[in-house]
Amino acid sequence: MNRVSDKIIEAENLVYSYSLDREEETRALDGVNLSIARGEFVVIIGRNGSGKSTLAKHFNALFLPTSGTVRINGMDTQDPRHLWRVRQTVGMVFQNPDNQIVSTTVEEDVAFGPENLGIPPDEIRRRVDLALEWVGMSEHMRHAPHLLSGGQKQRVAIAGVLAMRPMCIVLDEPTAMLDPSGRREVLDTVKRLNKEDGITVVLITHFMNEAALGDRVVVMDAGKVVIDDVPRKVFSQVEVIRRLHLDVPQVTRLAHELGKCGVPIPRDVLTVDEFADALCGLGSTSAVASCGE
Amino acid sequence: MFRNITLGQYMPGTSFVHRLDPRIKILVTLVVITILFMVDTVTGYSLIFLFILGVILVARLPFRFVLYGIRPLAFILVLTFGLHLFMNEGRTLFAVGPLVATYEGAFRGFTMAFRLVLLVLGTSILTLTTSPIELTDGLENLMSPMKRMGIPAHELAMMMTIALRFIPTLLEETEKIMKAQMARGADFETGNALQRAKSLIPLLVPLFVNAFRRADELAMAMEARCYRGGEGRTRMKQMKLTKGDVLTGVVVTAGMVAVAVYL
Repeated sequence: MNRVSDKIIEAENLVYSYSLDREEETRALDGVNLSIARGEFVVIIGRNGSGKSTLAKHFNALFLPTSGTVRINGMDTQDPRHLWRVRQTVGMVFQNPDNQIVSTTVEEDVAFGPENLGIPPDEIRRRVDLALEWVGMSEHMRHAPHLLSGGQKQRVAIAGVLAMRPMCIVLDEPTAMLDPSGRREVLDTVKRLNKEDGITVVLITHFMNEAALGDRVVVMDAGKVVIDDVPRKVFSQVEVIRRLHLDVPQVTRLAHELGKCGVPIPRDVLTVDEFADALCGLGSTSAVASCGE
Repeated sequence: MFRNITLGQYMPGTSFVHRLDPRIKILVTLVVITILFMVDTVTGYSLIFLFILGVILVARLPFRFVLYGIRPLAFILVLTFGLHLFMNEGRTLFAVGPLVATYEGAFRGFTMAFRLVLLVLGTSILTLTTSPIELTDGLENLMSPMKRMGIPAHELAMMMTIALRFIPTLLEETEKIMKAQMARGADFETGNALQRAKSLIPLLVPLFVNAFRRADELAMAMEARCYRGGEGRTRMKQMKLTKGDVLTGVVVTAGMVAVAVYL
């Protein structure tokens, strides 16, 4: 049943529950329906414990649904025969850069995935060189991973996934432990992967300005998908987002507050540049002044 | 303080000894060790000593560095020599109370101590000229025929690789936790042995907890990258035996056997 479809990830009525003690059952995912098409850049946001990380681990068959189905490129993740194909199709990058690097040199680590797939040595060499070049880490090929910066380590982790030639990359808060420059390195790499190579990206994040990068934002709360729309529409619902204990990008918030004071500024600005343009378009500053505080 | 720690004691280089296939190096080292235990004449020892000296010169290893390896052995060397000196029957050299040192004892003690020194020198040449990764790969490769006997060669090698990978990470973490605990008034430096051992608890507990968490995450990351043990796995770096490697192995082994048989 290797049905070809343009949906790379399809989750249907996905429920995942676990019990810490016998009595109580916690539903980390509670009926998630989500489909992601080839080439999309989807951002998943949600507060701690909303189930976003659990959902991500289903895309790679690290977790299997308690009920419902997850299909990756048409393959049901519950079917053990598909397990390794699924994991090769969807690559994962985790939060802690230190805990996902296996080998003692950068090139050996990038080779780890292809080696597991049983690919011939010459081909692995080629893939490793290409992947490292793609993330801009070629000159660090023979370095020990512990001497790299956080952003560099995450790029090595991305290269390690790329060398397996996946169709989709799922990144589980890849920038949470990085400094601002490391964060930019990683995000630029991810954006390029999506735009230039057409690789489907699922980015899970805490940072709202990262969420604005996506084609689509999925907001999760209490194991359910609560909003699923383009970033502009999602963040224009400032009140809803804040009720979910999430934030909107700073400029969006500012535009929203200004709007409440009667400044005729569009409520769906996402970036500082857009905001500046909108502000210049106002012509008169009198309305801003009238807002007082 | 731990940042630039060298793993093992590998001295990078490009000499003939460095470039030799790690499998050959391991096997030759084993041969030398075995022969050392079979030889029992001054000439035999001298020849092996000259051989090891030659290898050190060819590998361009600084002697100071090689000799470092013997330092921790000083106590055992003195003990070995002392025991043999006083425990052998023979012509009296001198006597301390009831203990009688003999000429024969001195000779035996000296050869025994010398044997130990050669043993350590021989093995440290291996670790000084072979990077830990090569060493691991070499061991895995040599042990793989033993898989049929139930020896998990791949798993052992993978464990060694991961250990090597995480030693610097854990050292860094140790340093961080130490500083954090010192900032809270922990004292790691004063007191007697027992007090000091006790003061290590606030260091070791978080370190272990973190190590387990890391292990868990690493296992998941490895699975996500399709790791399923050694079955069907290929390696990017293939070890290739050159004619030179084989020839070196054969010549050294033959030489060593000759020493054992004729001397």
